[in-house]
Amino acid sequence: MKLTVNGVEHEIESAPLTPLLYVLREELGITSPKVGCQQGGCGSCTILVSGEPRRACLLAVAAVDGSEITTLEGLGTAEALSPIQTAFHQHYAAQCGFCTSGMVMAAHAYLENGGGTGRESIQEALAGHVCRCTGYVKILDAVSAAAGGEVASNQRWLPQPGEEAPVEVPGAPA
Amino acid sequence: MKAVGARLPRYDGVAHVTGRTTFVDDARVPGTLWVKALRSPSHNADIKDLDVSKTEAMKGVHAVVTWKDVPLLEYGHLSALGIPADEPLLAKDNVRYKGQPIAIVAAEDEETAQAAVDAINLDLEEQPPLFDVRKAFDSDAPVVHQWGNWYPHFEGEMDRRQIRKGSIDEAFDRADAIVQGVYRPAAIEHVPLETQVCQVVPEADGRLTIYSCTQALYFSMGVVAAHLQVPLNRLKFVGGTVGGGFGGKVDTATETMCSLLALKSGRPTKWRWTREEEFLCSSTRAPWHMEIADAVTKDGWILGRKMLTLHDSGAYSRFSPYGLTKHSFHHTGAYTIPNLHFDGYVVYTNRVPTTAMRGFGVTSVSFAVETHMSRIAKELGLDPFEIRLKNANRKGDTSPNGIVYTDPSTIPTILAVADELGHELPADYRTMSSEKREGELLPEHLVGQIGNSEDH
Amino acid sequence: MPTAVETGAEVLLPTSEDEAVAAFGDGAGVTVLAGGTIVVPEMTYGYLKPQRVLMLAQAGLDGIARDGSRTTIGAMTSVADLTDLPSPLGLCAANVADLEIRAQATVGGNLCAPQGRDAPRGDLQSAFLALDAQVRSVGAGGERTDPVETFLADRAGRLILDVSFEEPAAGAFARLDRPHTHDYSALTVCAARTADGTVRVAVAGVEGPAVRLPSAEAKADDPAAAGAAAVSDATFADDALASAWYRERTLPVLVRRVLTQLQEAA
Ligand SMILES: Cc1cc2nc3c(=O)[nH]c(=O)nc-3n(C[C@H](O)[C@H](O)[C@H](O)COP(=O)(O)OP(=O)(O)OC[C@H]3O[C@@H](n4cnc5c(N)ncnc54)[C@H](O)[C@@H]3O)c2cc1C
Ligand code: FES
Ligand code: FES
Repeated sequence: MKLTVNGVEHEIESAPLTPLLYVLREELGITSPKVGCQQGGCGSCTILVSGEPRRACLLAVAAVDGSEITTLEGLGTAEALSPIQTAFHQHYAAQCGFCTSGMVMAAHAYLENGGGTGRESIQEALAGHVCRCTGYVKILDAVSAAAGGEVASNQRWLPQPGEEAPVEVPGAPA
Repeated sequence: MKAVGARLPRYDGVAHVTGRTTFVDDARVPGTLWVKALRSPSHNADIKDLDVSKTEAMKGVHAVVTWKDVPLLEYGHLSALGIPADEPLLAKDNVRYKGQPIAIVAAEDEETAQAAVDAINLDLEEQPPLFDVRKAFDSDAPVVHQWGNWYPHFEGEMDRRQIRKGSIDEAFDRADAIVQGVYRPAAIEHVPLETQVCQVVPEADGRLTIYSCTQALYFSMGVVAAHLQVPLNRLKFVGGTVGGGFGGKVDTATETMCSLLALKSGRPTKWRWTREEEFLCSSTRAPWHMEIADAVTKDGWILGRKMLTLHDSGAYSRFSPYGLTKHSFHHTGAYTIPNLHFDGYVVYTNRVPTTAMRGFGVTSVSFAVETHMSRIAKELGLDPFEIRLKNANRKGDTSPNGIVYTDPSTIPTILAVADELGHELPADYRTMSSEKREGELLPEHLVGQIGNSEDH
Repeated sequence: MPTAVETGAEVLLPTSEDEAVAAFGDGAGVTVLAGGTIVVPEMTYGYLKPQRVLMLAQAGLDGIARDGSRTTIGAMTSVADLTDLPSPLGLCAANVADLEIRAQATVGGNLCAPQGRDAPRGDLQSAFLALDAQVRSVGAGGERTDPVETFLADRAGRLILDVSFEEPAAGAFARLDRPHTHDYSALTVCAARTADGTVRVAVAGVEGPAVRLPSAEAKADDPAAAGAAAVSDATFADDALASAWYRERTLPVLVRRVLTQLQEAA
């Protein structure tokens, strides 16, 4: 079996029924998809299969043999965040961070599919994702801001070495 | 002080949004063995036989640990504070809750570990279980704990946390009405998205590196060191990255057992609970049983409160004596009541042990008190905002445990809620502040706070 | 490497309907894996340890075909693909799980969903019962087309190929939900009226697979009376979502709602 993960092709040795989540985390060492429930109930393992969000814990790897997989590692780096990553950072949408990978992947797919700023449609897109920390408001704010183009991409909003932390936050709600 | 009031970026924000944060489950240690536990299938039973010999001989099994392997079997979470221990790390003579760990296994992989657990021979003799905290006091209730059905070791070997303030009899004599209520909030599971997880690495220098999701790192270090009977300098904890805890990760649920297996096998070990284990076996917020009787005047002053609280500790004490103490200090809520008679018990049942959760011991009593305030207003036909404002904490008032309030916030909070809801208030209520009581707001019963707070 | 999955199982990966039918044979000892939203976690948790697994991922068997007023849906069609169909099927499908699960979950898997340990999970069954759908399947004795009612009563050892039904004159859907959008429904009630005026009502979320509610159907003109009568046609069970007690008291309300909707659609 073969998988292309974040643009890199891999030969897969795991048994065909192994959940994709295990293949990514244990065989390939890609750890952003998290083990939250292993039964489809939380969304912390969500990755993209050919651009569409799927629960990695529910997919037998043989079912996606040959597919293009994108994980959070494949979106943006600390030096060049993607707009949705910037939005999550600026809006404090990641607290403990455990749900964040799945949330960001689902939100990214929502934006790529032309999703708008409306609360209801964002809720529908993220309905399968549980967050126990934020209370969701900040997550909805972040996705809405990204959908409305209110975040500049590549904005790191991170103190540089020797720099003081910015007190004024660009793009953050007043 | 540049940071106060400013919106600063989270120090870990970029790591989170790029998926680069290393949670315990993300540490990659070659040669790691997988851990599984034999958990009690019964709510209450005596252990007649526990035989792990078949399991120890299985291919792929590297270590099996039972109570016999634990240097100090019982070490309570509050032992360091002089509160005696009652919970064995691994069950010895009996099991008191469904899911209680009895034996743990480290094996090559998860499947082998599970098969090894399944091969352990366990013989139990069922005992009648107790699930309702109130029934623990009934004369025909089964006794489910070695100390009896409630914790007997408060200061001076008292079997309850008690508060006496003022003169409760006088308050009840003078009351126009007695308003009673019983409040029973249920257990709540914390459901952190990251389940309990731990990775232990035995290092060449004899130390153990422990990747822990604990919420209380130094505390957990003390607990592990005590059970293992090793000095703290043998333990290197790697923590601070917690995938949600909410109180449920103060119990040091995995670290000690994982360490014992790492020591016995000489291999790195990892234990990650399944979501099912998290729901069925991890500690929860406690169920509570609270009975309140208030002596009130017909114009809404609360003269006195009698309260009985039963705090469901589950099978063992853990932090419950501490939680109940906090609860007792807050049992008048945001209000000042001069005469108090409070008795609180930490009660044992056959539920999973209960623990801290967001406002340990206080959320339950806030729920009861606020519901009760509205009940008083309803029974007396008074406005629920006015009765709250009237009895609100003021500067100079004292809490149940005798603390003098210097900056209480009840009044501004209630006024803000009234504003938000568009609730009309008479001018004398609208202009209330937290300043010391005077005039009509210093009713006779509050002069000198009747009695004093010394004798609790 | 920790892995929870039985690695020894034999995996069959047919690439066409014919291959799938041949590989399934009489179904003995074969576990069908369609979308896998049920089968995969059951394997992860060790509840299911299959010997031979028939993975339908590449077998085709998907798609929605219309022939006049008749609609035929392949077993591997995703639940997401049904959401634009008329009521009750479309609404019922849109209420299953969340969009990620719906895109992976299949019609065949929903019709064959075993009762869950914690929640019911064959919501679409109630819609297909209301639509008087026909299920085409293979297995011992070869190919068969049965009314969905017959099929649900005896579905072991069958491989579903497709399911078909006549478009109803009107349809209605109501459910007892938990607050989370993506959660399972505790009860799902579907109703449909055919062109000749026949009304069918069915419920999922009861003990076992979904069932029709003939006592309610007989009183379809009087929604409240039909609701009260419906209770005698179903057996209720406790699970993590709701108690049998609660379900029994809610069913009359849902039946009344769907029948009122049908009347309003007239
Ligand atoms: C988080 C979550 C939420 C869910 N919410 C809902 C909900 O709201 N409503 C609901 O109804 N369900 C729900 N489900 C359950 C499940 O997703 C659906 O029932 C789904 O339709 C099952 O389809 P599948 O293809 O994934 O099934 P699979 O897991 O592939 O199979 C399920 C069963 O059907 C058998 N099977 C599959 N296809 C065939 C076939 N063609 N012929 C014969 N046997 C077959 C399998 O052997 C297995 O026994 C939920 C699941 C999850 C994880
Ligand atoms: S781990 Fe996949 S949905 Fe929870
Ligand atoms: S940030 Fe902790 S679960 Fe969402």
